[in-house]
Parts: sequence; structure tokens; C-alpha cells
Amino acid sequence: MKVRIAVLLACMAVSAQAGDIDRFFKDLLKGKRPAEQQQTMAPPPQPAPQPAPQPAAPPERPADQLLRALMSGNMSVEEERRIGEKIAGNFLGAVKLVPDANLQRYVNLVGRWVALQSDRPDLAWHFGVVDTDDINAFASPGGYIFLTKGLYRRLGNEAELAGVLGHEIGHVIRKHHIKVMQQSQFIALGASLLGRKMKDENQLIQNLIGNGAEIMSRGLDKESEFEADRVGMVLAARAGYDAFSLPKVLEDIGHVSDQDSRVALLFKTHPHPRDRFDRLAEAVGDRLDNLPEGKTLGQRFYVLR
Amino acid sequence: MTCKQWFAALLVGWLAAPAWAAGGLMLRDDSLRAAASAASAVVGKAAKGSEVEILASKGGWTQIRAAGRTGWVRLLSVRSTAGDAGKEDLDSVVALTRKRESGKVVAVAGLRGLNEEELRSAQFNAGELRRMEEYGVSAAEARKFAADGGLAGVAVNDLPAPKRDAPKSNGYPWGGY
Repeated sequence: MKVRIAVLLACMAVSAQAGDIDRFFKDLLKGKRPAEQQQTMAPPPQPAPQPAPQPAAPPERPADQLLRALMSGNMSVEEERRIGEKIAGNFLGAVKLVPDANLQRYVNLVGRWVALQSDRPDLAWHFGVVDTDDINAFASPGGYIFLTKGLYRRLGNEAELAGVLGHEIGHVIRKHHIKVMQQSQFIALGASLLGRKMKDENQLIQNLIGNGAEIMSRGLDKESEFEADRVGMVLAARAGYDAFSLPKVLEDIGHVSDQDSRVALLFKTHPHPRDRFDRLAEAVGDRLDNLPEGKTLGQRFYVLR
Repeated sequence: MTCKQWFAALLVGWLAAPAWAAGGLMLRDDSLRAAASAASAVVGKAAKGSEVEILASKGGWTQIRAAGRTGWVRLLSVRSTAGDAGKEDLDSVVALTRKRESGKVVAVAGLRGLNEEELRSAQFNAGELRRMEEYGVSAAEARKFAADGGLAGVAVNDLPAPKRDAPKSNGYPWGGY
């Protein structure tokens, strides 16, 4: 409800200066920077004396380039990564990595191997276990993947870890978060701010993702979650793991009481694990009957101290 | 029978009973097979909606007992219902140590969870992000790690979405408006 009001307010802000915004959008679509237009409207610049050297400012990227990339749907891998990096960095401001280098390294090895089975093997994939008892996992655009210590502790073998990471990799390769940002309301929100006061890309990204890392506490749509489950199973199977490890994890999490605060966020932002299991059952049917039995690798699963 | 013998008999009985046998619910009709393979002989049927006993699992197969017959069905055809009610689950005991407050579950005990307010007010942590990036591994390292575990790539097709009418709207804020 709060969000709806925020969007409504943003729309009102847009309509209040509709003329500016219309021109702004037209310029964006024409590939022209709004700043250039302002220059053409201004009197021709006089040759000015060489300005005194300024102290070096932090590097700023103009925001309109990224906004145009979002609108056209042609975002570069690097632009996608910069959005993901901002979300990941903010998230790590709320919860730190588990201080165990061997664990982090192990999860990166498993995750990278699973990601190599996807159609985006060359993204700069990064995986991290964060220090919270919450039971959850998160993805951020460009290849930043997190799972919580609480979820890791419930896993019984490497295949289950692969299945969970495969689900998150699914969100990244299918660009689920980017697609949400491409919804016109968000772009209008970004544009209204851009037209008034926002000059650099960093600010645009922050406005697109909301406050801090709150994007991590919002759900994607249910269909995206079901799709990521299917991708997770397929990637784990392609990597040589037990394809059924992900539904086994879902079955386990489904047994945690919904009164337990450790699953509050997970249950708020995802369909119930039972429904996800059922959806996988529907999608798989007899399609995986001839799949060779995958490995679970329980013996080398890294045990948390 | 002496007391000791009684005790021994009870112990044997307790050990023999499949304490791990859990309840299960059939999600779809499936054949009961003699072994964990689609090529194995069909020994019976288990109907959608029937309650069964789960005995074991192997790869993509689950061994069940349904209406007195034992056999294997596809793992995704049956879902464990153990603990669905949350009873006698350690998790629900933990949950009892928390209290609900205006719709939000608030942890009052020692466990630390993620809370939405913390996420909302989070500030960019460049040092921690750098640490995460340093743990990254190359494709070559990952391939070697896989080979060390005896993992090899398998050709598997994408799974298409099951055919059903996708809902136009949903209850989640990111897709809901």
C-alpha cells in the first residue's frame, strides 16, 4: 500500500511537470542527452578563459545513459553489473559475510561450476554466505549471489547447495530484477527525479532500487520464482549433481513453522515451498526419467563450525 | 519373561519400527515400480491425493507404501507431510520464543535474523563487497574443483513452464502494480 502511494505521488510529480518530462522522454528515445538540449536553448557559449584547476571530484557517470539502456532493454553487461554491485554493497551494509574464508571459497567453487552450465557462464559471478540465522538466499543483477548461514546449516550435501545456488543463478540469467526495473512506473520515477535534481548514475540506481537494500525484502513475481526453481534443477543436473536436491531442500524448508521468524522474509517474498515443490512436479513430470543419477557429494560438503 | 527380556523386546520393537517412516501425499497419479527406475516393472498404482508412507529415497525416486503395497514412485510425485502441522518440530519450539507484533514476527531470543528495517537503512559497505569479490574463483578453478569431485557436465534441456493460465496479477509488491 505504501509503495502504491509512493508510485502515485511520483506519477503526480511527473504530471505536474509533464511538459518537461515529455520533452525529456522524447530526447531519451532519440538518443539525445537532455543536457545537450539545454545547451542548444541557451545563448551560444562565449569562449571563456581557462578555468582555474578544480580539486578532483569522485568519478560520476551521467544517469541518462543507464536510464536509456533500461528503457530500450539494451543494457550492457557492465551496466547490469553496476546495478547489482550497488544492491550487493548495500545488502552487505545490513549483514556481513561469515568470517570463514574456506566456507566462502567453497561456496564460490560450487556456485561458479553451476553457473558455468548456464547461458551466461562468463559473468563475474560472486557468491557469499552472510552471517544471519535467517533462512533465505538472494540474487542481485550481474552475478552477485548470497545465501544465509541459517539456510546453509539446513543443507545436507553439496548437491543441495548447488540446487539453491542454481535457483539464484536463475534469477540473474533470466534478468528478473532488471525486468522489474524496466516497468514504466519505475522509469517514470527515475525520470522525474532525474529531470529535477539527479545527475549521476549512482543516484539513479539508488532511486530505482529504493532505500538501502530494501529491494531484497520485496518479492519478485511468483512466476519468476517458479522459473528460477526450474532453472535451478536443470543447472544442478547439468553440473552432474542430483537434480532433485532443490525440491528436497524445498520440502525441508516447507516443514519450518510459518510462525518462525527465521522464515518470515522468505515466506513473505516467495510462494510457499509446498507450492514451489508442486509446481516443479508439474513441470518435470517424466522429463527427467532417463537422467543418470547425479552425485550428492555429502562427504566433501563444507561443515560450518 | 523377565523385566530385562521385556525391555530387550521393547527395544527391538522400537528399533525395528521405521521411526523415520514419514507420511506423504501423492501429488499426481504414478505407477509403483519394483525398483528406482522408469524401466523397472510396474507393481501397482498410487493415486493423486492418497496418503502414503515414505520409506526411502534414491536419486529421483521415493520408495513408498501405499495401500499395503511397497514400491518406487518419482520423487516429485509425492511430498512429505511430516511436520506440515509444525508439531513436535524443534523449529516451532524456537518459534514459541518469539512474539508477534502488529503482523510482524519479532525475534526476542538470541537468534539473529534479517529485518526489513535494517535492509531499508543499510549503507553501502565497500570493504565487505571487496572481500566478497576477492573470494571469486575463475572458470578454470571451478572446472578443476568439479573434476576433483568426479562431476562431469550432463546434457539436460531447459524445463518449460507447465501449461496453465498464468495469473495476470500477484500478491507481491515488485510485480503487483
